[in-house]
Amino acid sequence: MRWWTDRRQPWDGVTFWALDLETTGLDPQHDRILSVGMVPVREGLIRWGDRHYTLVRSPGKTSESGALGVHQILPGDTASAPKEEEVLTFVFDRIDNAVLLVHHAPIDIRFLRAAARRVHHRWPAPRVVDTVRLLGRLELRMERLEPYPPALPRGLDGARKALGLPGHCAHHALADALATAELFLALRNRLDARTLSDLT
Amino acid sequence: MHEDSPIDHSAGVENAPGNGVPLDPEDFLRVHPPFDRLGRSAMDVIGRTLEIDFAGRNSTILSRSDPVNDRLFVIRRGVVRLEAEKRRLELLEEGECFGFPSLISGCSPTVDVIAEEECLLYRIPKTTFDDLMDEPAFAAFFVDGIQQRLRRALRTEPTLMTADLASPARDLCDHPPVSVTPDATVAEAARVMSTAGVSSVLVDTEPPAILTDRDLRNRVLARGLPSTTPVSKAWSRPVHTLDASASLYAMLVFMLERRVHHVPLVEDGEVVGVVTDTDLLREHLTSPFHVLRSIDRSASPELLVNYANRLTGLVDGMVVSGLDAIQVARIVSTLNDAVMARVARAAEEDLGPPPCRYALMVHGSEGRREQTLLTDQDNALVYLDETEEAGAYFTELGKRIVGALVQASFPRCAGGFMADAWCKPLAEWRSTFAKWVTEPEPEALLGAANFFDFRRVWGTLSLDPLDDVIAGAADNRIFLAHLAAGGLRFRPPLGLFRTFKDEDGGIDLKKGGILPIVAIARVVGLEAGCRSRRSLDRLDAAHDAGIISGDGAEGLSEAFRYLHRLRLENQLNAHRAGRPISNTIPLEELVSLERRHLKDSFAQIREIQEWLAQRFDADRLG
Repeated sequence: MRWWTDRRQPWDGVTFWALDLETTGLDPQHDRILSVGMVPVREGLIRWGDRHYTLVRSPGKTSESGALGVHQILPGDTASAPKEEEVLTFVFDRIDNAVLLVHHAPIDIRFLRAAARRVHHRWPAPRVVDTVRLLGRLELRMERLEPYPPALPRGLDGARKALGLPGHCAHHALADALATAELFLALRNRLDARTLSDLT
Repeated sequence: MHEDSPIDHSAGVENAPGNGVPLDPEDFLRVHPPFDRLGRSAMDVIGRTLEIDFAGRNSTILSRSDPVNDRLFVIRRGVVRLEAEKRRLELLEEGECFGFPSLISGCSPTVDVIAEEECLLYRIPKTTFDDLMDEPAFAAFFVDGIQQRLRRALRTEPTLMTADLASPARDLCDHPPVSVTPDATVAEAARVMSTAGVSSVLVDTEPPAILTDRDLRNRVLARGLPSTTPVSKAWSRPVHTLDASASLYAMLVFMLERRVHHVPLVEDGEVVGVVTDTDLLREHLTSPFHVLRSIDRSASPELLVNYANRLTGLVDGMVVSGLDAIQVARIVSTLNDAVMARVARAAEEDLGPPPCRYALMVHGSEGRREQTLLTDQDNALVYLDETEEAGAYFTELGKRIVGALVQASFPRCAGGFMADAWCKPLAEWRSTFAKWVTEPEPEALLGAANFFDFRRVWGTLSLDPLDDVIAGAADNRIFLAHLAAGGLRFRPPLGLFRTFKDEDGGIDLKKGGILPIVAIARVVGLEAGCRSRRSLDRLDAAHDAGIISGDGAEGLSEAFRYLHRLRLENQLNAHRAGRPISNTIPLEELVSLERRHLKDSFAQIREIQEWLAQRFDADRLG
């Protein structure tokens, strides 16, 4: 076990990479990653200056019209973008030494793992913090204080508003990654999480 | 950012969709002062170093025990409170900055900053801040005081006309003056004018006279006089001249108030040229003249029905042209006076000649020349003879004047301070004024606050005896104290910690800001013996008399201008949107800069109110 995986260390001693993907659809086997947005949380602060965003060029399937309406990335937009393999190397280099921070993690992780298999990359298996799970945890805590509290929305926009953060309706990988990082800071504060184990 | 990476991190900002969702920190900052003054490259610098923090409720963000502070904070969401010795000083809201005094001084923060609510905060490191301070507009925001901030607010949004109206009138002179000798005939004068292509000619007399093409038409041709008539039969003498260095705005007011179309400009005692209203017309400021002409020429007051709409359109144009609200008010009052005069003249024509001398006066904001868009009527009649016949005549005259003004869309005054009820002989007015001064009961103070700002707009009866009563009140401390206490009933809607007290979803700019200043200015102006009714003149006079400090007078004047401007803009917006015009501005329509200026204004008023209360011990009396 490497040093950073020690779950007892203080939460702000770890780097979190908030990450969001825009994809051509919802099926990790057939759909492709179109763009990646990443924002780090280091020493408890979102480091906006260290953000990353890129479109991804990958062979094969293009967006279904439905998905196109959501993220508005046209097939031509990705033509001059870095290749999937390059992007994965870049992303994995970062999350290898950090904690991955995702809103509704299972989907994005399945996409990343499927892409890793396609280009024969090793999946770095980082520790993952899922803001949707933290929402569930906060809800349980609220129930202890007050029976039948109002449910917390699980969508990114709804959850942010429920926690008093500015509304958000971006569907852009970088904007969503930032929205996730901010939501994480708010949830961390409400849960009074001190160590990594309080968050994973 | 890694130089060798295939990933372009700046692309995200440019490609970000969802305009109008200010989630990107840069998007948010771009619309909040002082960041709104920064160019793109400066915003990029911020984007490279910005950090985002979250502060839980009641957590300390900055503390006086911190040795230094090395970043600027901007509130993205939430409210923070500034505290010293456990005393709350102020609340700051979304879009506001803090931490800069310690950042600039390099010393410990002078206050504790605590999250009043959960806060999302942007942090800009000192190195970046120092770079941004090289931008003068950005730096000015942090180093200036309240007055400077307010003054700058008045100067923002330069429009096409701002510079022009401040420029000297001589700029309009494009040729030297044309003149004739006093023994010239009108035909000779007409030839000189025709050759020079001008519409007026000066006559070399002492003092100089002027002959215009209007004079040739009205005083020569219309009267059937021959072309050999000497110019002395048709000229205007002495001519109204204006210093060539006067501003175009001053010239506009000069021409409107004196009803002249030609103004010779004088430099070192010499006439250097003649400018006309057509010269100003070229500068697009035609409409006040047009409206004035249509008032004067309207055959009957019924033709004034469209006046309110024309006035609103005109005011809109003047605001767009860069006139401030106080300047607009001065022009509007000239036009309103013309309407009053027209209406009074028509009523006289209907009723027959008046049995004695009289005066129609306006009071309240109209008396102070501080009215912009149409509000309630404030007028009264004063006549000389204490006879039954005069009483009957002027009561009827008052009724007709008020009725005609209602038709011209001046609503009735809710308090009934109008010529149909307030119609008395001069002697009775005098004793009423005197009684208000010597027995300042609540009702008397209401009367004093309304009528002591009176101004004659029509009639030949001198109102100096009433002025003398008011001048006599300057030494009456008891009266002034009561007047001060009465004015202090209007309080700015600002809570203890600089938060707005929001009534019915909005801030009443008149009750909360304008009237308190008017009341303060009236008291200190009366004490200083100031004869002008305008609040800004009164504050100036009080400063000259050593009653109020320069900072106080200046700060209050700036606040007064700002509140007038904000109210006028809000009213024009309402008018354009077809909503009723009011004095209340919804809080959500104010951007953070306006909120800040409004708070500054209210804080300034509160400060002077406290000073005034102490000066007259007015709270005790109230």
